Amino acid sequence: MATSVPLQAASSSGWLVGFRNVVDKEYASWWRTRRWLTHLILWFVVINAFIFLVGADGMRRHAPEDVLAELIEVFLRVGGLWTAIGIVVSTQSAVLGERQLGTAQWVLSKPLTRPAFLLSKLLVNGLSFLFLAVLIPTVVFFLQTLWHALSQPQLGPFLAGMLFHVEHLVFYLALTLALGTFFTSRGPVSGAAIGFLFAGFILPNIFPSTLEWLPWALPELSATAALGRPLPVIWYVPVITTVMWTVLCVLAALWRFEREEF
Amino acid sequence: MSDDVVIRTHNLSKSFKGVDALKSLDLEVRRNSIFGFLGPNGAGKTTTIKLLLGLARPTAGSAEVFGHDIVGDTIHVRRRIGYLVQEPHYYEYMTAREILRFTARFFYRGPPTAIEERVADTLELVGLADKADRPIKGFSGGERQRLGIGQAQVNHPDLLILDEPAASLDPMGRRDVLAIMERLRERATVFYSTHILDDVQRVSDTVAILNHGELIAKAPIEELLAGTRGQTVYAVEVRGNAGEARARLEAQPWVLDIHAAPNGNHAEWHVSVSDDDAAESQLLRLLLADERTTVTRFGRRTYKLEDVFMDLVEEHTNGH
Repeated sequence: MATSVPLQAASSSGWLVGFRNVVDKEYASWWRTRRWLTHLILWFVVINAFIFLVGADGMRRHAPEDVLAELIEVFLRVGGLWTAIGIVVSTQSAVLGERQLGTAQWVLSKPLTRPAFLLSKLLVNGLSFLFLAVLIPTVVFFLQTLWHALSQPQLGPFLAGMLFHVEHLVFYLALTLALGTFFTSRGPVSGAAIGFLFAGFILPNIFPSTLEWLPWALPELSATAALGRPLPVIWYVPVITTVMWTVLCVLAALWRFEREEF
Repeated sequence: MSDDVVIRTHNLSKSFKGVDALKSLDLEVRRNSIFGFLGPNGAGKTTTIKLLLGLARPTAGSAEVFGHDIVGDTIHVRRRIGYLVQEPHYYEYMTAREILRFTARFFYRGPPTAIEERVADTLELVGLADKADRPIKGFSGGERQRLGIGQAQVNHPDLLILDEPAASLDPMGRRDVLAIMERLRERATVFYSTHILDDVQRVSDTVAILNHGELIAKAPIEELLAGTRGQTVYAVEVRGNAGEARARLEAQPWVLDIHAAPNGNHAEWHVSVSDDDAAESQLLRLLLADERTTVTRFGRRTYKLEDVFMDLVEEHTNGH
């Protein structure tokens, strides 16, 4: 077949060469396979079906306003815990799997920079996961609250709570990707990330100050804000430090991956 | 760098945790050659290829591909290269067409119709047009290797680097892969590593042999097969009393060595010479000067690449 239209060579330069192409590929891995459907069903069952059970039980025993508060609390605390574990499990292989299978070696033999490879993972895994495990369950949750509590959460406070929740998840995404550049098997990657998550239930009891400089306070802040209750005076400290930890994880991943040899 | 030289390395070295995988490699690969890069397992072939592609960093030395430094200018290097990895792995959920489209988009901005045409041409070239829209999950080893060659040349690279392209294939698959390589030489330099010596002898024009990370030979294939290290060897079969003839030969300054092996009532001599012209004009005459000697066979000894390879590698290994 003769080429009738001349091809235009890619001539971009800089540290994100090839980014758009790998972003498209990452989206395809979420949305052109059954992965999106698996996540959609999983999070509907884990979050919304669970909320249905809690709401059905609450309707029999409590006043509607108490049911609403209980549902918000369960949605953000229990749902928040499950989605934090979920983002670790679903992205633990994003970098590590490609290193192990050899697809990273193949794709990095093309005109693609390593930061572009890594940041495409962060962007697409983050957005796809947040859409399927946060946005859709949240929309369904709003409908569920109408059914169970005959009212809906106040939008402003609820969105503020959701922002803390999203920040918490993005931190675990960055942490998992970073661990995936350092370790060579899945066990230490998911073990370290989930271990850190659960350490947040124990260590603050012994060292309360950790709540200020580590992301462990965010689930509590998230629920408090969503319920419209007053936040602690220094609520912004864990919010800022979590952003800093997230950026640090991304920088560590970039630093380590730049030194990776295939 | 001369326009004629595609790859040039200067003392290129790589160590892993104190073990030297590649020691001071100096190499030049000329344009439009099919350059066979040989060596036993662990010789440093794949390490060299990874260094050229920026997948690993040299411990010492440097290299240029098309005049671009392999460390500082790796993106420009990779824009002109097609690479087939030793054990290719692709995204299993993609089809062959999607793999080629994905690869092509690293090299071309568009337009999409032109990219699709290039992809279709490539599928045709590697014989995968009828399987183009099947997920590669179900592909056989041979089909994966064809796809590998397809993705390596979808950008019509100036340099094609193939790491063991036929290692895992059956004879039919090997034949097909070699045929594709020969077709591609018209527009590209092919640099490939292998330890299948028959393939090298069939398609390569230049050969380098690596052992324990060191370059132990590099020459055009005819030169390598004609004799080792600049020597030419003549194979002569003689009958009768050949003692005087042998003495006469040994007296010639261009005769380096005569290795004789009895063979029934014949003797087979391998005469190593340093001056091919002198040997060509005088050797047979000197043998026939003695009427008691009958020469039943005479000719330049041709080596199989396997002989040369084994000889060089064993000699180098024993010298360590």
